[in-house]
Amino acid sequence: MTANQNEILSALVDGELQGKELDRALQFLDDNEQAKAQLQRYQFASDVLHGNAYENSQVNLLERLSTALDDELTYTTKIAPKQKAQVISLPQQFWKQAAGLAMAASVGALAVVGVISQPQSQVLPIMSTAAVEAPVQTLAVTAGGNRWTVEESEIADRLNTYLVDHNEYAGASGVFSYARVVSYDTGQ
Amino acid sequence: MRIFLQLVLVLCLVVGTNSFAEPEAMKVLERMGIAAKQLNYEGVFAYQTGQNLQSIRIIHRADEQGETERLVSLNGAAREVIRTNDLVTCIFPEGKRVNVNRRPLGRGFPSDLLRRLGSATPYYEVVKGKQGRVADRLVGELIIKPVDSYRYGFRLWVDKESDLLLKSELLAEDGHVLETFAFSTVEMDKTIPDSLLQSQISSGTEMTWNRTEPESAANMAATHLLPRWHIAWLPEGFSLVAQQNRIKAKNGATVEQRVYSDGLSSVSVFIEKIRARHSHLHGGSKMGAVNAFGTILSAHFVTVVGEVPAKTVEKIGASISPADGTQR
Repeated sequence: MTANQNEILSALVDGELQGKELDRALQFLDDNEQAKAQLQRYQFASDVLHGNAYENSQVNLLERLSTALDDELTYTTKIAPKQKAQVISLPQQFWKQAAGLAMAASVGALAVVGVISQPQSQVLPIMSTAAVEAPVQTLAVTAGGNRWTVEESEIADRLNTYLVDHNEYAGASGVFSYARVVSYDTGQ
Repeated sequence: MRIFLQLVLVLCLVVGTNSFAEPEAMKVLERMGIAAKQLNYEGVFAYQTGQNLQSIRIIHRADEQGETERLVSLNGAAREVIRTNDLVTCIFPEGKRVNVNRRPLGRGFPSDLLRRLGSATPYYEVVKGKQGRVADRLVGELIIKPVDSYRYGFRLWVDKESDLLLKSELLAEDGHVLETFAFSTVEMDKTIPDSLLQSQISSGTEMTWNRTEPESAANMAATHLLPRWHIAWLPEGFSLVAQQNRIKAKNGATVEQRVYSDGLSSVSVFIEKIRARHSHLHGGSKMGAVNAFGTILSAHFVTVVGEVPAKTVEKIGASISPADGTQR
């Protein structure tokens, strides 16, 4: 891996590539196993630096991050943490809007992650043929329970988000369907 | 004689593809759907899947303003889900996180069993079972068996007096109970004060707020997402019943959701553009009776989620391809 290739991967993780640069990076990833592993390390580092919570994961990310840092000392200086979260006072109007009577007006401050984006402003160019080798989830198949049988909390979070949306269309157990959401066991 | 045999053969084929549904059982099912939307009720029910048992308090109010519902986990962290006409708010105190999803189309609770029941009839046998008692109330049992192994069966216990669903079991092909919901106590037709529908998060709690918004129809058309994907296989009787695009406030990612249903069971297909920094499910996963299958196609996360057998979500997921034929 050359320094330039590492820079490309770093930029990819930070979402700074577009158009042909993005296509080339994806093609590079597609052809290079070492690059895929490097990208995964960068993603872990980026997620930790950006404050994405992994505290519920069985994976010891700090240990893995440390290993990644030992392997590649340069990237810590290349991944500049982006300003992704703002801490603001809770807009009580939001809560009234968000849940109407359902939410207590006394709830305190919130850390607001991201902003409501305009639908067309932040999407990547459509990559019609490019194949992104995103890190692949290794399944941790366990007995059925109140949590997804996945190792990474990020994937479980995404599946939970999908589950909430899917519950809108639950079948015969519709009265109870959101029980799956409130029963979710995060203690992985 | 030959004509008679042909007639018998045709009848067998017809019977084989049109399951039996007792008219009276279907009426109970319809009334159950209405009761769930129109009644005020408050109670505690158990949710059991595998070795896990959870107690959940539910408060549901229906009035001229529409429906409002709150569910609170009574064991462990006091997770809450609050549903109003146009929003679903999920509160996870252990992760100090609140997820707010605006409901699609703003048309209230879309778990509209009633609207879809007719289409379910050919794919399930629906009969009345025995009478029994749940939460100290007299109930009638409904037994719902699917015609194939691509969907689960149900046993439902419906309150004789109010038609509210008081107990539900989701059944695997071999009759094994995958999931049980059962009220232990329930009160109906009572006045539900606002305070019971408010979150009990303590004052001053700092929470992380994640929000998604539905994409407007105009923008959906502009982004041309919907025509880009082709789903080659669905279980017989499943058809598209809803579709929407959402924008994740966290990163601006567009997530397309398509819902397919046979009237009783449903699956959602989620298609999300990869934002270059995330991991994704590859293969199957499950949570209780809900199965998921994930893959990556043309730089998109593709995920199928539903309360159907694992092989159903896998087969649907494996049949999805970009409409223009490009694949990874």
